[in-house]
Amino acid sequence: MNKKKIYSSWFLAPSMIVFSVFFLLPMVLSLFFSMTVWNFNGFEFCGFDNFIMFFKEDSLRIGIRNSLLYAVLTCVLKLVLAFFIALFLTSKIKTKTIQRSIVFFPNLVSTVAVGITFSALMHPSKGLLNKCLEFIGLNGVDWLGNTKIALFSVIATDVWKGLSIATIIFIAGIQSIDKTYYEAAMMDGANFWQRLKAITIPLSRSSMNSIILLSFIGGLRSFDLIWSMTGGGPGFATDVMASIIYKQYAAGYYGLSTAGNVIMFVIIAVIAFPLQRFLLSKEVD
Amino acid sequence: MKRKAVSALLCMSMVVGMLAGCGSTDAGSAGSTASADTPYSGQKVSIMWVSNSSMDGINAVVDAAEKELGIEVDVEQVPGGEDGDNVVKTRLASGDMTDLLSYNCGSLLASLNPSEYFADITSDYADKLDENFVEAAGVDGTLYGIPASASQAGAVLYNLDMYEKYNLEIPKTWDEFLANCDVLREAGETAVLGTDGDSWTSQVPYLGDQYNVQAADANFAEDFEAGKTKYATSEAGLESFQKIEDLIPYMNEDHMATTYDDGCDIMMEDGAAHWIILTSALSNMYELYEDDVNKLGCFAVPGRDAENCGLTVWEPNAIYMNKDTDNSDAVKAFMDFYVSDAGLDAFTGAELPNGPYCIKGYELPEECYTAVKQMQADYFDTGLNSVALEFQTAVKGSNCAAICQELASGQTTAAEAAAKYDEDCKKQAVQLGLNW
Repeated sequence: MNKKKIYSSWFLAPSMIVFSVFFLLPMVLSLFFSMTVWNFNGFEFCGFDNFIMFFKEDSLRIGIRNSLLYAVLTCVLKLVLAFFIALFLTSKIKTKTIQRSIVFFPNLVSTVAVGITFSALMHPSKGLLNKCLEFIGLNGVDWLGNTKIALFSVIATDVWKGLSIATIIFIAGIQSIDKTYYEAAMMDGANFWQRLKAITIPLSRSSMNSIILLSFIGGLRSFDLIWSMTGGGPGFATDVMASIIYKQYAAGYYGLSTAGNVIMFVIIAVIAFPLQRFLLSKEVD
Repeated sequence: MKRKAVSALLCMSMVVGMLAGCGSTDAGSAGSTASADTPYSGQKVSIMWVSNSSMDGINAVVDAAEKELGIEVDVEQVPGGEDGDNVVKTRLASGDMTDLLSYNCGSLLASLNPSEYFADITSDYADKLDENFVEAAGVDGTLYGIPASASQAGAVLYNLDMYEKYNLEIPKTWDEFLANCDVLREAGETAVLGTDGDSWTSQVPYLGDQYNVQAADANFAEDFEAGKTKYATSEAGLESFQKIEDLIPYMNEDHMATTYDDGCDIMMEDGAAHWIILTSALSNMYELYEDDVNKLGCFAVPGRDAENCGLTVWEPNAIYMNKDTDNSDAVKAFMDFYVSDAGLDAFTGAELPNGPYCIKGYELPEECYTAVKQMQADYFDTGLNSVALEFQTAVKGSNCAAICQELASGQTTAAEAAAKYDEDCKKQAVQLGLNW
């Protein structure tokens, strides 16, 4: 019994103090303030009114739908595209290092700068994208002004920017697969697709799971790119949960936005924990 | 050897840099001793300037004040809109505000809780200023700010040449306005310029219609604040939103992606006949195109009654004095200078006003924009003007711009947008402690 406990639990104290002061305490406080109408001078308790008002918000429906759509689409696209890019970058090619750096470049640019650049590229009459379409004889698209397309334009930009991290994780995963598996499979006459299906995919499962979790949670709470590209517009067409909360905070509805944050936290937790459970249970050793 | 040379070079540049630094401070103190008669020499005043428009005026006043008073003024520019609101509120709450703050008056001022942060300047300035402004830059009868610039209006800027070319008259009613638009559209012109890429511009047709709402229902503002009247249920209120919907077919095709800056270029290149916008756009256009701006005229957003066609006026931003400033004398002196004739001349010399001044007895300069002269003659000399709703009540929904942008994009109807806006205002009412 005693053998297990070599170190005193007091070793936990420093990190627990930091954790409590900077994570637990604010969480409890925000739970409290979400039930008040507050400003910087004081607060007034109002029960669950903030939550009721938040759920009544018309754009919330759009926000939750957009957040989910955004999270799922960016997650799936990044996963699929990054897998094939990683596969290509781990194969026997020349200039491997340069190509890997090129894939990583978008990640080095600040998100807001990416947002501003892409909204310029996507301008309907002056943007480079539509000029190219015109050149090959197609009609231009109002990428960010058309309410049906705007969200997808932002998603595409997010994928372009976020692809690199997913690719790096995949490269690491694929490289760690023992070469002997492939040798054995080749002896048995397995072709490329068979090797892919039976070895590469199952054995890079753990990196796949990290990517799914990271990009899904990242997608759910995404804000900066959407804010810099559309500001939640046109109207409320690309509003996500985070941008709705930000707008409420900026308007000075502090209680309401605190309630919104609590709700967003719960929604993300409710989705992320079971997802992680599920993914881990599928992982093979 | 190489390394030695490099380090020697670095050392030298450091020394030179230090000398240069000292040199400039020496020059500074020498300058101030030379003009020892300036009362506040060497004192520093900081000002935060929250605005998206031209900085020429404030810079000119600062230069003049530095010469006249010997103070050193440090201007910090912050962009307007939501991000600016955030900066201002956070800096105020954390006690980190500059000596002076230039910020909106009206409902946005009320949301800052001014009595907590700003000095009461009622006895110093209230007599010198226009009453509407005193009301807007104060809360509960206490004045907190002086006008940072001239007032402006939410109105229709129109191309005078096109009106002559197509033989059009200035419309007195909304129907006449749409008839003009039809003529222009058939001639292949862009009748109305939409700049919905910047959502704040989408709300100007609605906000600028306030004169007409008030003409139909004189107590609209009070009833609205009390929660008795709503936009969705008031006929005149609903009409304001209807106007945004009416404009859609006349707008440029890429209006959802056109920004305010694009709009300034388009108007100056004769790309559109009308633009419903704040008249501060005139300054932006003047900065880029100089006297070309005089090819634009201005008329009020038309309503129903041709006899009572009036302008909706925006009070300018106001300059507030931080209660906790360390050198109140120098700050006060700067404010005095700002509203003196010398200060105002410096401002208008660099940036022509976009409307009349809120300071009693100060006349508009001769070289004013054509549109502003029209405003003065048609709406101020005749008294046909009133202030926008945000200066009459503290209730202004924060999503107003997005709701109007959504309406302009055709996603909602005017009735839906009005109902949405009512719901949006409810949140502000709750924060203000009003019983809606």
